[in-house]
Amino acid sequence: MALIEPFAGHTPMQAQRFSPYSDNGGTIVAIAGEDFAVIGSDTRLTVGYSINTREQSKLFRLSDKTVLASCGCWCDVLTLTRVLNARLQMYNHEHQKEMNTPAVAQLLSTMLYYKRFFPYYVSNLLAGLDAEGKGAVYHYDPVGHYERNQYYAGGSSSALLQPFLDNQVGKKNMNGVVQEPITRERAVAIVKDAFISAAEREIHTGDAIIINIIDKTGVKEERFALRKD
Amino acid sequence: MFLTRSEYDRGVNTFSPEGRLFQVEYAIEAIKLGSTAIGISTAEGVVLAVEKRITSPLMEPTTIEKIVEVDKHIGCAVSGLIADSRTMVDRARMECQNHWFSFNEKMSVESVAQAVSNLAIQFGDSDDDGGAMSRPFGVAILFAGCDEKGPQLFHMDPSGTFVQFDAKAIGSGSEGAQQSLQEQYHKSMTLKEALTASLTILKQVMEEKLSSTNVEVVTVTPEKFFHMFSKEEVEEVIKDIS
Amino acid sequence: MASVLCPEFTAPGFSFENHQRNAFLAKKGFPAPKATKTGTTIVGAVFRDGVVLGADTRATEDTIVASKNCQKIHYMAPNMYCCGAGTAADTEFTTASISSQLELHRLNTGRVVPVVTANMMLRQMLFRYQGHIGAALILGGVDNAGPHLYNIYPHGSSDNLPYCTMGSGSLGAMAVFESRWKPNMSEEEAKQLVRDAVAAGVFNDLASGNNIDLCVIRKGAVDFLRPYQVANEKGQRINSYKYKKGTTVVLNQRVIPIQVEEEIVRKVPAPDAEESMDTS
Repeated sequence: MALIEPFAGHTPMQAQRFSPYSDNGGTIVAIAGEDFAVIGSDTRLTVGYSINTREQSKLFRLSDKTVLASCGCWCDVLTLTRVLNARLQMYNHEHQKEMNTPAVAQLLSTMLYYKRFFPYYVSNLLAGLDAEGKGAVYHYDPVGHYERNQYYAGGSSSALLQPFLDNQVGKKNMNGVVQEPITRERAVAIVKDAFISAAEREIHTGDAIIINIIDKTGVKEERFALRKD
Repeated sequence: MFLTRSEYDRGVNTFSPEGRLFQVEYAIEAIKLGSTAIGISTAEGVVLAVEKRITSPLMEPTTIEKIVEVDKHIGCAVSGLIADSRTMVDRARMECQNHWFSFNEKMSVESVAQAVSNLAIQFGDSDDDGGAMSRPFGVAILFAGCDEKGPQLFHMDPSGTFVQFDAKAIGSGSEGAQQSLQEQYHKSMTLKEALTASLTILKQVMEEKLSSTNVEVVTVTPEKFFHMFSKEEVEEVIKDIS
Repeated sequence: MASVLCPEFTAPGFSFENHQRNAFLAKKGFPAPKATKTGTTIVGAVFRDGVVLGADTRATEDTIVASKNCQKIHYMAPNMYCCGAGTAADTEFTTASISSQLELHRLNTGRVVPVVTANMMLRQMLFRYQGHIGAALILGGVDNAGPHLYNIYPHGSSDNLPYCTMGSGSLGAMAVFESRWKPNMSEEEAKQLVRDAVAAGVFNDLASGNNIDLCVIRKGAVDFLRPYQVANEKGQRINSYKYKKGTTVVLNQRVIPIQVEEEIVRKVPAPDAEESMDTS
């Protein structure tokens, strides 16, 4: 017997299978400067059209010179960061030193690839200072591909913010611009403006942002309110 | 003395009433049968020098390997049961590669020593099939390397104990050699001075005449990392000591 | 002149001529484009002298805000307004189509159209289309019998209620009504309650947001308050994003000279006597 299709686009009924992943939204942005790095996240945690909380930072301070921003499936974020922190502690004990940012970057990559066929459903950005004290930003895909960049946007508004950063930080596609190193004030202002714009047009981003500024003196934190609808 | 020992010197799992593990002590004794190896650490780099005992003229000297590369920036010299040393060197190499894979950085010399020590003290451990390792390794190792703390030299004995040294000698001639090292070593030593000192001392404690075929020389420097001396390079150093 | 390609008048009702083609395309992995959903909070409440309707102003396309100030309270008749949730196009066309019929009805009868008439017409239309017209409506108005409020579902069912909510934000809004609505409220009380109900949707439902519109219908008078309140102030950006002139890269340039072909027509003075032709 032929399948009867009631109208265009409808498929026959199927039992819903258990899905281990959920998308809890959130946006993360990071910019690296000469001797500093700025990393920010919004504080909204969602599922579907509901808000779970308005005050969940997605930044994880791994050391005095490394901060991780992580969003996506929040239970995976929690597990990943707990395991990562444990690995950092083990490294501290084994080698009697704090792990530097490039080593954390590699470790995170191997941890993600280890779960190649049941991945952590997570967007990661790592910001900090490298061994020479220069600002560094690393971004990841869920299975461990990573790359060092000057700036990057991840999470639910990444498609809105990456072109903005390309233009304002990367100074792409413009005539007669002076390529000069970005100042700390400008980097922070761009991160704030990016989130203000994302909250205007993307429903999973809003409530507030937390910004971490990393330099040789340590990590400073700033908060900033966004629209709450 | 032997009578008191005989009760307790068989198992590696049993202390004697005096608190000694005789098998470990015997293993340390075994080192004293091995060929002499010397390591000197300077600000410019570390020197390793060992004697190769050519017991027969029919032997192929190049197949005796007593200094090996662990990673680009770490080498080690061994004395004692060379077969045992292979297992330990394999572990050291594996740990270095694992560290690079996980962290994309060089493993520190101390961490390598720690990792190998963890293997060395597994004697007496047992798994479900019975004994995993029946006796301690009969080897002493000198780890020479350059990491972010600069050039360093570590010594490890069969008990797994490892200590950092400015200069250290192991093997049959170690007592005399260590004495000479103490006299000759100073903090401002150059790498060249350390090279000549090591071969001079080695020459004093060796039974055979020192030549470019019966010694192995390696330097580990921050610039060139692990560097094994060619026959010509060794001859160049020997020329200066005569 | 009318032809097959360009008929003078379109046939009444929906055209289904592309249905088979679209079903075929969907099967080949080319799904039909998604329609804009209003993903909405709409509410209505009866008070002593009339009805207050309320709505947010956000329209979404999946997770993106498609419109920050769209109108979800639609005009039906001078004494009637209707809030719409669901597919934006469906709510707009359904209310407009019934609105035009109501006006004809008013002209025919010469009386204030009863709200129940509009309710019946909307239900009958929605039921005819078996839920394929995705319009969830709240119809409110005042007629000679007093204030009325109806909840109408996409399949054509309807309730007559003293207060109701619809759309994705309806749960939050209903929570406010359930705890605070009471009979015979004053107009100010009712406006505040309806505002709070919409605000509950605006802040707790991601698909609702931006402003709050209200419409107060009394006997013989309507206040359409748009916006009644800007629930969220837009964030103030720190930097200026004005570009210097010439920032856009000119990739290539081609000049096409315009050939001007001109023809000058001059007025030639008529030959007169003084300048006669020499014919000798």
